[in-house]
Amino acid sequence: MSEILLLGRRAVREIVRYPEATIPTLFIPLFFLVVNLGQVQKTFPSTTPFLKGQSYVAFQLPVSIIFAAATATSGLALVTEIDNGYFDKLLVTPIRRSSIILGRLCADFVRGIAGSLLVLLVGIALGARVATGVPGAVVMILLGAGFGVAYAGFAILIALRTRNVQATQSSFLLFFPLLFLTPNFVPFNRLSSVMDTLAHINPISYVIVGLRSLVIDGWNWGEIGVAFAVVIAMGAILTGASLRTIARYDRS
Amino acid sequence: MTLSTDPRGGEMPLDAAGAAISVRSLRRTFKGGIEAVRDIDLTVARGEIFGFLGPNGAGKTTTVRMLCTLLPPTSGNASVAGLDVVEDAAEVRRRIGVALQEIGLDPVQTGRELLELQCGLYGVTGRDARDRAEELLELVGLTEAADRRTKTYSGGMKRRLDLASALVHAPEVLFLDEPTTGLDPASRLTVWEEVRRINATGTSVFLTTQYLEEADQLCQRLAIIDDGRIVTEGTPAQLKAQMGHDVVTISLAAADVPTTEAALAELPGLERSMTEREALVLYVEDGARSIPEIVRRLDRESIGVAAISVSRPTLDDVFLQATGRRLEGDEQEEPTP
Repeated sequence: MSEILLLGRRAVREIVRYPEATIPTLFIPLFFLVVNLGQVQKTFPSTTPFLKGQSYVAFQLPVSIIFAAATATSGLALVTEIDNGYFDKLLVTPIRRSSIILGRLCADFVRGIAGSLLVLLVGIALGARVATGVPGAVVMILLGAGFGVAYAGFAILIALRTRNVQATQSSFLLFFPLLFLTPNFVPFNRLSSVMDTLAHINPISYVIVGLRSLVIDGWNWGEIGVAFAVVIAMGAILTGASLRTIARYDRS
Repeated sequence: MTLSTDPRGGEMPLDAAGAAISVRSLRRTFKGGIEAVRDIDLTVARGEIFGFLGPNGAGKTTTVRMLCTLLPPTSGNASVAGLDVVEDAAEVRRRIGVALQEIGLDPVQTGRELLELQCGLYGVTGRDARDRAEELLELVGLTEAADRRTKTYSGGMKRRLDLASALVHAPEVLFLDEPTTGLDPASRLTVWEEVRRINATGTSVFLTTQYLEEADQLCQRLAIIDDGRIVTEGTPAQLKAQMGHDVVTISLAAADVPTTEAALAELPGLERSMTEREALVLYVEDGARSIPEIVRRLDRESIGVAAISVSRPTLDDVFLQATGRRLEGDEQEEPTP
């Protein structure tokens, strides 16, 4: 455990010392939040039934949180270390190989908390109200950070499999379409039938719906529970695959 | 049983069971059938600085990666500090220190942070880690730069810090893969000093290099590897002694090689000769005394040469004898997994 914390602390230090790696990942979701509001806020005034009296910013806020939390930064840091030889240096120490990944995920959790909090504060400043209050805001931040950790496993997996910076960077492009195959602009029932089907099979939709319920609906435990279950399942699959890959790294 | 020169001047038995490193029929084949290491055998005694000399692509790094548990052998077996590198990989990693060819440093951390982290990964934490880091920074002369990020370090400083990070847990066996490649002469000397100092504390050192002088200066014993095979092994003095007494190098210019070789074939005291691209190399009993006779014989056959020089045999001559080509200037890339 201590080795995970040591490596996690190092990764957090890296975030703090390389703000240029984090700032763009926060700028883009905030940019989309503001631009999307500018485009459709008049189309969906607060009298729109699915907004339940809130500004449209409340509806968009969960999408921006997801966007801010999901980054390929850990994968990129890992592939850079593979490239510069520090990864090998870690592999010849007597630590468990899994600690290298779990240390990175600790930093992703910290980064996810900071990113979700920032987006949430901007959303509130733009007029959103969290229906579940401060406890709900905390749950939103934890759910966003959890999603960031789960998603990080994907970029880490690509980094370990390809050992290529460009390929790891491109992993984010796979996430992009998934983000839009969701009820991100309107609820499920307002989507076309094809989009509705696609959105229903896209697990990210359920994380957005869970976050949204905390902002707009109140404590809807069913939706919140499903959102956490999706994050846990995603994390188990992607982190599990990453752990398996690092265990087999150069072992054949 | 073979003998190895003891760092303190005596000779120590090379017993595989009690050796720092013991390798038997070790082989590594990469995808595509590239045979990087082909059935090598070697034994490194405890407390020894053992050199692994060869050109780029000879199989040095692949061998080190197998011995450090980074890469499994395709066949054969190897033990380090008495432990099998495949069966007891985790314990081997506790007993070894490694400075790989590619300097493995995290550029975001300071030298001190990097060493303290490295201590932590070996179970040394808190005050002990801070003290050990301080001690090592002093040892490698980086105390003043300790709180700067490693990305600001020069090549020599990075190499010294990498070396220090391999020493945090006082390893039994230290692997140094081309520790001075790319360093300026002054930094190279500093690294040599460090290696000698580390070895003096009882740490066995396995050092790969493509520099003849480095092998000659540092290593008590060495093996020459070429194309994945060990072609010769012994102390530098033994290897050079095998070459004969003196080396006479005749730069041929436009002279015909077979004609020149034939003219000197019956030279008194000639032990053997080898041809290179633009030179004929003669191994003779007494170089200085041979020169007048060489000149006479060349003159008699009207063979004009550019220059004639006499020297003592070097490890490069040993390499030439073993492989048919010079080590220095030979460049090829080693396969990667």
